[in-house]
Amino acid sequence: MKAEAAVEQALLQLAGLAWPLAVAFAWLLGELVHQALGLPRISVYGLVGFALGHGQLGLLPPTDTGAVMLLANVAFGLSLFEFGYRINLRWLRTNPWLAISGLAEAACTFGAAYWVAGQFGMSALASLLLASLLMSASPAAILRVFNEERSSGAVTERALHLSALSCVLAVFAFKTIVGFWLYQASGSVAEAVSVSLGLLLASLLLGLAFGAAVPFLLRQAGPGSRDATVGLALGVILIVAIAHFFRLSPVLAALTFGFVARHRRITLDQTQRNFGALGELLAIVLFVFVGATIDWHRVAAGLGLGLLLILARLLCKVLVIGAFARASGVSWRKGLLSGLAMTPISVFVILLLEQARYMGIDLIDQLAPLAAVTLLLEVAGPVLTQRALMLAGESAQDKED
Amino acid sequence: MPLQAFQLSAPLSLGVELELQLVSLSHFDLVDASPDLLELLGRRRFPGHVVPEITQSMIEVNTDVHSSHADMLAQLREIRDALVEAGDRLNVGLCGGGTHPFQQWSERKIFAKPRFKEVSQLYGYLAKQFTIFGQHIHIGCASGDDALFLLHSLNRYVPHFIALAASSPFVQRRDTQFDSARLNSVFAFPLSGRAPFTQSWSDFEQGYFARMERTGIVKSMKDFYWDIRPKPEYGTIELRVCDTPLSVDRAAALAGYLQALCRHLLSRAEAPPAEEDYLVYNYNRFQACRFGLDGALVHPKTYRSRSILEDLLTTLDRLETHAQAVGALPALEHLARAAREGSDASFLRREYALRGSAEGMVDAAIGRFRGRA
Repeated sequence: MKAEAAVEQALLQLAGLAWPLAVAFAWLLGELVHQALGLPRISVYGLVGFALGHGQLGLLPPTDTGAVMLLANVAFGLSLFEFGYRINLRWLRTNPWLAISGLAEAACTFGAAYWVAGQFGMSALASLLLASLLMSASPAAILRVFNEERSSGAVTERALHLSALSCVLAVFAFKTIVGFWLYQASGSVAEAVSVSLGLLLASLLLGLAFGAAVPFLLRQAGPGSRDATVGLALGVILIVAIAHFFRLSPVLAALTFGFVARHRRITLDQTQRNFGALGELLAIVLFVFVGATIDWHRVAAGLGLGLLLILARLLCKVLVIGAFARASGVSWRKGLLSGLAMTPISVFVILLLEQARYMGIDLIDQLAPLAAVTLLLEVAGPVLTQRALMLAGESAQDKED
Repeated sequence: MPLQAFQLSAPLSLGVELELQLVSLSHFDLVDASPDLLELLGRRRFPGHVVPEITQSMIEVNTDVHSSHADMLAQLREIRDALVEAGDRLNVGLCGGGTHPFQQWSERKIFAKPRFKEVSQLYGYLAKQFTIFGQHIHIGCASGDDALFLLHSLNRYVPHFIALAASSPFVQRRDTQFDSARLNSVFAFPLSGRAPFTQSWSDFEQGYFARMERTGIVKSMKDFYWDIRPKPEYGTIELRVCDTPLSVDRAAALAGYLQALCRHLLSRAEAPPAEEDYLVYNYNRFQACRFGLDGALVHPKTYRSRSILEDLLTTLDRLETHAQAVGALPALEHLARAAREGSDASFLRREYALRGSAEGMVDAAIGRFRGRA
């Protein structure tokens, strides 16, 4: 008995090593594969996370423990903040065709996904939830690939702005549908509203407050601290922790924080893209985490529907954004490539679901096909984004004398 | 290939080229948008000419040949409006300014065109460092001899143009303490500086240029990066020292000033240029880059020193009748006002202090190009 207890104790202590080891391994493999094959590093991180995850090799403990999830949320928060920080909301007004193409694309994806899921016999509610999630494009993955490729040009700008729009739409649609679902399940309007609308509103307010306060404080710190990276990063960590604590949406809060801070225009030194080394490190945790949440059995079970959903979503994004390309000021080719660059989805969806689970709403079993979608796009999404940039001639990694 | 014969052009006719920055309206860094912008502008008639520049975050616009400041200004405004409208659709802001205050040269991409690729291969990182933005002003000349006479007579006025156009105080997020840091990047090129002293076109053509060509160093006039160079195929001389000003109004005014000044010089009222004039040339030029209008200017004939501002204001007064004759009075008034209010460089420094970030300063420059400020 004593020996067994000792072994168990030792194993538990060893489990504490699992995450650091997994992250180090993912980083190493990411570098090797990126050097050898030129594939995006984050695709590798996701694969490593999946392979080592609880459902597969089982090296990593289950992901529903609060601490790792908080860390992943902080990493995602940093991405979202930087994302919001790079969005020029005025552009959607000066070029209404762009906003229209984004809305049309989201509507088309929503409709297509809902229809496909319905054909496979999913319940209306599950289909709606699935469709709302599939509207989104993952800012974390897209931004990381853009920064990795040091890309710049029309496809880069468009994919960034359109995925920001898609994320906001997806969060609102998702929370609203969850609200309805809760209402159906519990019959309590109060609970439904507080979980959906109230939560959205509170998250927005939190983001607004930070967006106003943090730049103000940084300004008070004076010109000696012109490099605001650390201050803003701390702001993000704090806002995610607060959102986590009050069970608000860290996604919406961090994104709003970024939007607002940008329009108050504090220096984000361009050499500190991705929040420098800190962001780099946390991104590995994030993508490994996302991979680790996926269970092989669910992937296998939902593979057929998952593939169809991916196809429908891809077609909607590429064709609808492509169709509005000329009207919104770019060539057909760049329009189609902008749609293609928006393929990644995983991080965003997984964190929304994990967040919902953390709040006691477990949708993962109901939305099984998502496992296949997220796993496939976790690997393929960044690769497609990267190829779109290369085809558009916007990647700085192009062989250029 | 020997130098082309000097074409005749209407004396004192004007042409302007502006190199402009393409800036992301999201993060205010330079953006590699010239292929996208050219594609969009190509869809309809452009009120002038627009061509790519060496890196994808620059664009060059050219006006037609004009005889008056008013026509020049009108066309430049039309060009600006067309550019701004196209830029807005692409989330790209256009602006003047000789340098972008925080771009990293290593991030720039060379535009896919054979000549640019050749230049890039020859000069290496200098080519990407050459992401700097200048205004070139062409003045029509009746003959090659007139062109060289004007080119050398202008030597003592070059600091005026540098100081009036100076709009590149920041490089790599730091105030360089220069009003025009851009010209420092031009000096790095081996064939920069001033043209050799000769006042006869046939001497220049058959002597200097032919010998230089035999050395194999140059193939055409394009290989010289001089402050002022003759352009025989247009029948003009080209003043190249100006930073691109923050507004097209300033750009047109500089052209009007040059036109009136050349008319004055052609009246032969001043002592003719001499090789000795160039003793003070580089120092005066440095003063203008470093201190702008507050710099000191040593007169090449009398060696008297006074401030560039004082020298400029006196010259503007003296040119009144010539300016009237070519319709450049409003240009001179604009510049006199600008000289009193401070150059674009001081505007940028003010905005930097006010807004607290280089991004804010770029935003202000974009606003000024739009004609708002």
